[in-house]
Amino acid sequence: MSSYEHLKVERHGAVGWIINNRPDQLNAMNARMRDEFADAWTELDADPRVRVIVHTGEGRAFQTGVDVTEVASDGLGMQRYQDSVASFDLHFTSWHQKVLKPVITAVNGICAGGGLHWVADADIVIAASDAQFFDPHVSVGQVVAIEAIGLLRKMPAEAVMRMALVGRWERMPAQRALELGMISQIVDPPERLREEAQALAEKIARNSPAAMRATKLALWESFEMGLTDACRAGAQQLISLWGHPDQEEGPRAFAEKREPRWQELGPDPD
Amino acid sequence: MSYQTLQVAREGDIGWLVFDRPEVGNAMDATMLAELERAWQELDADPQVRVIVNTGNGGSFQTGLDVRQLSRDRAALREQSRRTRDFTLRFTSWQLGCLTPVIAAVNGVCAGGGLHFVADADIVIASRDASFLDPHTSIGQVVAYEAITLMRKVPAERVLRMSLVGRHERMSAEEAYRVGLVSQVVDPRRLRAEARALGQRIARNPPAALAATKAALWQAFETPRPAARGDAR
Repeated sequence: MSSYEHLKVERHGAVGWIINNRPDQLNAMNARMRDEFADAWTELDADPRVRVIVHTGEGRAFQTGVDVTEVASDGLGMQRYQDSVASFDLHFTSWHQKVLKPVITAVNGICAGGGLHWVADADIVIAASDAQFFDPHVSVGQVVAIEAIGLLRKMPAEAVMRMALVGRWERMPAQRALELGMISQIVDPPERLREEAQALAEKIARNSPAAMRATKLALWESFEMGLTDACRAGAQQLISLWGHPDQEEGPRAFAEKREPRWQELGPDPD
Repeated sequence: MSYQTLQVAREGDIGWLVFDRPEVGNAMDATMLAELERAWQELDADPQVRVIVNTGNGGSFQTGLDVRQLSRDRAALREQSRRTRDFTLRFTSWQLGCLTPVIAAVNGVCAGGGLHFVADADIVIASRDASFLDPHTSIGQVVAYEAITLMRKVPAERVLRMSLVGRHERMSAEEAYRVGLVSQVVDPRRLRAEARALGQRIARNPPAALAATKAALWQAFETPRPAARGDAR
């Protein structure tokens, strides 16, 4: 198991946790943290005891993007970072790392700029009532693209465009994020965020891991295609579970009024 | 340059493009169609204009083509029909490829073809008494372009409902806010002031980053997700 300096990686029952842990820098991502993300997602996705992954942050911010101070003062880090963006060879979100387990982002406090990557790329997003969302990229002369493009597929576009163009001069409160469907739950008081995230994750962990993996593949792949092609590809995911033991265990457990005993996930189907 | 059917003005960093045929709900006649093309291009090309605000004079924002006037001007009607058929329309900022951020400030009724300007703006705010409807199908016309773009921007059910119910229902400003069609609803008397304030916030960001961001995000509607993401640089 890897050791982490800027992340906390924990397991609580069937739930794996990744916790951004540079609170003094508002959890901004330096080069080392970026590498740790790649490892942490892979480690938890490969651990058969982990059924669901929750991602949150320490301190008053969830995440505030790239640590520009560090990247700028370290010529090598900046070059590596620019190369990875130029070739779209990124490895710090669950989507980049092709994680097939359900991922919940639990936004504590400020989520700014690159922090929106983990909102865009999570399956489910909940937030503390004091969470705030904004994207200051254009206000410091940077272009916003990747994270906003992800959000454009998931929520009303006008709000994404407004956040991208107004930059640091306006923040979206958790309530508006909820109304727009960017997040599905507000936790109040904010201190209860992790408890609620764990509870939600435990509900999800009661579902068939194999069925959730195929579902996640079908739904995320649908973003890549037109509607009819996506349904055709989805049909392949659907029938991929026909004959799987979970498909008999599920109804049987329901009839017998007990928790199902799901098959452990094998290696990725790809 | 002078305009008969629009007011085009500069105020600091903000370029105003105001529909000015209030007696006919700001409907677009042949003159306005030609002037819109010129006005968007003029404001987009002006380096002093950092944000464009699009609004209307009178009780309507925009109510689509002025079919009555166009039916008297056969050449203009033929040209507009050809542009519609070939999808070579040239009266909105998106159709003309403007890279300056555009705010639509909806001051009243926005009907039918008026929705082009809501669909194609980057940001939309509305007066509390604004309303949205698409009467095309109620007069035997097909809705396509405006609704297709809107379906990329807000939940599709609401767009289909507006297209199919036609003139028999209106969406209020409040509901447009709830579904995310607009991001801000303001007192009617404050609409231009709020649009100006929002424009000034945007104008504090550097133009090159704004233009590249706008290009990247609109391009993302065109392509499947991985290709869209790959464009980011």
